[in-house]
Amino acid sequence: MNRRQLLQSLGSGLGYLAFAGMASAAKQGYQSPLAPRAAHFPARAKRVIFLFMQGAPSQHETFDYNPELKAAAEKSNGALIAPAFAFKPSGQSGLPVSELFPNLASHADDLCLLNGMHTDSPAHPQATIQMHTGSFNFVRPSMGAWVVYGLGTENQNLPGFITVNPAALGGATNYGSAFLPASYQGTPYFTRTGKLPNISNPEMAPEQQRKQIDLIQSMNQDYLSRAKQDAEVEGIIESYEMAFRMQSAVPGILDWKSEPAETRKLYGLDNRVTQGFGTQCLLARRLAESGVRFIEVSHGNWDHHNALRQRITQTSAEIDKPIAGLLADLKARGMLQDTLVVWGGEFGRTTNGQNGDGRNHNNRGFTMWMAGAGVKGGMRYGACDPVSGSAVSGKVHLHDLHATILHLMGLDHTRLTYRYGGRDFRLTDVHGNVVKEILG
Amino acid sequence: MAFAAQAQTGRPTPEQLEFFETRIRPVLAKNCYSCHGANSKSAAGGLFLTTQAALLQGGQSGPAVSPGKPDESLLIKAVRYEGRRMPPAGKLPEAVIADLEKWVAMGAPHARESGTAWTESSIDVAKGRQTWAFQTPRLPASPAVKNGKWSKEIIDRLLLAKMEAKRLTPAPDADKATLLRRVSFDLTGLPPTPADLQAFLNDKRPDAYARLVDRLLASERFGERWGRHWLDVARYAESVGRGRNYVMPVAWRYRDWVIDAFNQDKPYNQFVMEQIAGDLLASTSDKQRDQQLIATAFLSLGSHDLIEQNPQMFRMDVIDEQIHATSKAFLGLTVGCARCHDHKFDPIPTADYYAMAGIFQSTEMLSGLQRRPRDNVSYFNMDLLARLKSVPAEDQPAWMADPLKVEEFNKLLAQINDARNGRFLAMVPVKQRKQMLNATPQQRQQKIRQTVTQLLVQLDRYELPHDLAMAVREGRAADSRIHIKGDPKQLGPSMPRGFVQVASTPGQTGFEIRPNESGRLQLARWLARDDHPLTARVMVNRIWHHLFGRGIVATVDNFGKMGEAPTHPELLDYLAVRFVKQGWSTKKMVREIVLSRAYRMSTAHLERNHNVDPDNNLFWRQNRRRLEVEALRDSLLQIAGKLDLSRPQGSPVFGFRRGFDIGRGAGAQMKDYSVSMNTRSVYVPVVRNFLPAMYEVFDFPEPSEVKGRREVTTVPTQALFLVNSTFAIQQSKRAAEQLLAGNAGASGRERVQRAYREVLAREARADEIEKSLQFLDAIRSEAGAAPDEKTAWARFYQALFASAEFRYRS
Repeated sequence: MNRRQLLQSLGSGLGYLAFAGMASAAKQGYQSPLAPRAAHFPARAKRVIFLFMQGAPSQHETFDYNPELKAAAEKSNGALIAPAFAFKPSGQSGLPVSELFPNLASHADDLCLLNGMHTDSPAHPQATIQMHTGSFNFVRPSMGAWVVYGLGTENQNLPGFITVNPAALGGATNYGSAFLPASYQGTPYFTRTGKLPNISNPEMAPEQQRKQIDLIQSMNQDYLSRAKQDAEVEGIIESYEMAFRMQSAVPGILDWKSEPAETRKLYGLDNRVTQGFGTQCLLARRLAESGVRFIEVSHGNWDHHNALRQRITQTSAEIDKPIAGLLADLKARGMLQDTLVVWGGEFGRTTNGQNGDGRNHNNRGFTMWMAGAGVKGGMRYGACDPVSGSAVSGKVHLHDLHATILHLMGLDHTRLTYRYGGRDFRLTDVHGNVVKEILG
Repeated sequence: MAFAAQAQTGRPTPEQLEFFETRIRPVLAKNCYSCHGANSKSAAGGLFLTTQAALLQGGQSGPAVSPGKPDESLLIKAVRYEGRRMPPAGKLPEAVIADLEKWVAMGAPHARESGTAWTESSIDVAKGRQTWAFQTPRLPASPAVKNGKWSKEIIDRLLLAKMEAKRLTPAPDADKATLLRRVSFDLTGLPPTPADLQAFLNDKRPDAYARLVDRLLASERFGERWGRHWLDVARYAESVGRGRNYVMPVAWRYRDWVIDAFNQDKPYNQFVMEQIAGDLLASTSDKQRDQQLIATAFLSLGSHDLIEQNPQMFRMDVIDEQIHATSKAFLGLTVGCARCHDHKFDPIPTADYYAMAGIFQSTEMLSGLQRRPRDNVSYFNMDLLARLKSVPAEDQPAWMADPLKVEEFNKLLAQINDARNGRFLAMVPVKQRKQMLNATPQQRQQKIRQTVTQLLVQLDRYELPHDLAMAVREGRAADSRIHIKGDPKQLGPSMPRGFVQVASTPGQTGFEIRPNESGRLQLARWLARDDHPLTARVMVNRIWHHLFGRGIVATVDNFGKMGEAPTHPELLDYLAVRFVKQGWSTKKMVREIVLSRAYRMSTAHLERNHNVDPDNNLFWRQNRRRLEVEALRDSLLQIAGKLDLSRPQGSPVFGFRRGFDIGRGAGAQMKDYSVSMNTRSVYVPVVRNFLPAMYEVFDFPEPSEVKGRREVTTVPTQALFLVNSTFAIQQSKRAAEQLLAGNAGASGRERVQRAYREVLAREARADEIEKSLQFLDAIRSEAGAAPDEKTAWARFYQALFASAEFRYRS
């Protein structure tokens, strides 16, 4: 049965496919744009969890151990400021991790620190959008949309790309599909509302609603057959089926409250400071487990132009336990080996001081880290000049980061293209090199 | 001497730069730049220390450094406190002075030494003018066609000739009902009522369609539909967005002005001129003066980051936004790309950008909002709005008639002004002043914030005066200096104020800018001239886009090289010439296009055509188009009998709290007005970052960007909205209520027919009626408490609302 025949059968009048039967549609050869597709080469990671730290965390206080800065600061007549916190060698590897992250430090052997990151813009909106799409001058598909376009997704009852509490800055551009088909765009989910909007009908039970959707689909089918051919109308027909499946599957998956108390504690849900981001991380694991291909969770308030010591203590405390919990939980479930966890902000911060105890924007050098599927743990890659703060060795531009993430997903960033407006587009445009040195 | 030579001729070595960056720049930045940096308002003694050229050029006392000769360098003498004593706050430590000496001995290598000089552009503007887009449109000859009978109209023949060249045949005409629904949505954004349908089907006069078109063009609904199209281009919104999202409480005046302009069929070139320079145009009445002033809000509506720390950067960002919006909206060009470098694709040198920047730099934006005030809360500032003259005193809020209230209001304003401008101590009670003097900066800031917040709460209780408008006005006229790589710290030569050269006729006169003028008036006239290569073309293409679903240039906001080439350049030229000849009348242009045979074609799928031209680039049929969120919402409300066609007074945003960032405020700001208001969607407030959920789901454009072409997506969230949202359910119920109340004795069959006419504007076919009745029966016979009649019909309506046919116009 091909796609057209299936769509026609939906409106055949001889009893449309019963709603329970829709799940088996995939087995009958029905090709959804979200159906899983083969990678270019064997993948190390099946899914990505991107922990996005909006505002640009300071590398000097978190994951870029820089003892020379302290000495330089003392001699700089107040121009430079020393790292505000001590670093401790952690794990078997002795990876230096800031004292702000006591919990995460216990996973040091899983972390691959990218200390030589750099990007093009020192402004939040631009850099945030570029981090997500590779471009800030133009509206381009988000990295998550590219991944789902390349690989499809494992659970047809869920969107392939979900972003939890997305950052307001950049808005929907950060998870948009731009010129890629809309099925690849990210679905935003906000923990404060606790459910996806309109996910259930306030008045009809699912069996009742199925009758209505069957009528809609039958009308749509008539419309399509009169139009003879229209991919968009086919898309609309599909969207109703997906919507129907989503509303039965989603509430259960989002119900993190069903987790045992022990697990909730692991993510810091029992503590006011860590509860918010802990919930997001726990949701990320539930979504990952359910077969969502690309998951993003966002955390904000990292723009520490002043009162850095106090503010970064707070923001770090908010994420330390939840992320450590996420890594531990993934590991316990045997998922860390095929889940790629990526942490970082849109850029980093200067070695120079600002407003007394604060640091300014620095796009020339910053730190991100990866953990899990296919990356070496307990490793520092790249470095910044200890005084100027610019990346000098093992430099990784975010195009390189994107290329590497795709590579770990089994996709060649130069081959993952989409023809639009007369040319082939890629996430990495004409740039990007896979950082081979960090591959496990 | 070798060092000196190196400084002037060679590039500094990496080691030298390293030394500069780590040992010298921090010292200069900390101790010198507050008076001699690019950010200092005027360099003390005329001396800048920010580039090597500036160091060598020096100030009033001569060069600051003699490369290689520390002892002869004024800078070194000054830091040694020999004669001139710098920095005045205290002598630098000896080690730092030694570093500076070493640096000058090296030849004073400076990071800004190399590669930053302003270089003349290599763009050949004259050659650029040969591109089609920069040539004045010419009237094409009517082409020869084989199928002459199809149409005599030139629009049709220009299309047909291209079809015939590819052996394509035009699709058959659309049937009357389809045509009625199409033209009703396209011209008014609303579906025809069953009465409209009956009248049109029964009208057998040969000019029935033309009469219909004229009726729709004359309806006020036309301006609401086409005004909204323009508001997409004007990035219209009622809050500033970004870091500090404050309200723009009177932005709606511009919205109403745009709608009125389309309803009055204001000549498009006049429409353009008023938006750029309405404040400078002559007027014969206060009313006219006010309307022209309101039009200039186009330049003040942009989204800006009010929290930007650097005032110069903020200024340049505002100017950049104005250049971007103006050039994209009116010229279909991305002049903004030339801020930092010559345009990579189009013949637009950086010089052109700064020629335009000078115009906007000489203009003051009156958006009612200011960049970060000292108190960090009073971003809204009534003094930064224009005052209208035609609002009579009796139309002002009641409190303005009470002298006591007025006095109190003015006192609040004065107090806030003091705090905003750092005159804070003046408002602190004498007893507390001493305490404040001893406070840490943080404590002080906190106190200021607290006090001003309280004042703003009080001030927000006063309704704003009713004579305020967003606008622009003339500022201090001056040319802009080129910012090398867009950096306000690296200034190149001044550019005389002017326009995009490639769209100018060499030797054109009549647009000279006098020294005391911003040049906006000249820019407006330059855009509005009849022989402008782009102004008319860009607008007729926008019109075509809205009537055919795709522009002749598909990228409606980009006529440059990165845009798509026109599929029918002659047709585009014909329309542009015709537009100007008919007095830049939008209504006449729309009328001519919708009367063409091409517009009236059906959306039929012709296999042979489809194989050759699957994307319908040659317009061999009409394009099926998705209803925009406004048309969808307005249709639902109309069918439910709830659509309020009156124009609301202003906007709910007018009553929002002005003293607070939206998002921190609660209540009014957070309400979903697309649900609570029953007016047409064009009047639902557009608050940046807080679009109504329905708008987000159905592809409303991001209101910070010029967006002449909306995205069309198909996602499950749209399906979920239509089957599950309270809004959709409510309109379905109301529609059902009306249906059942309307004709108590009607049969089920008649009712189905009626619903089809209301929702799909056509007769239901026999099989559709059967299917519908079966559905209704199935609902009625549901097990348990069977739903009542109204519920059954409501579910039926909802299915029609959710159907693909309803969501499209064919």
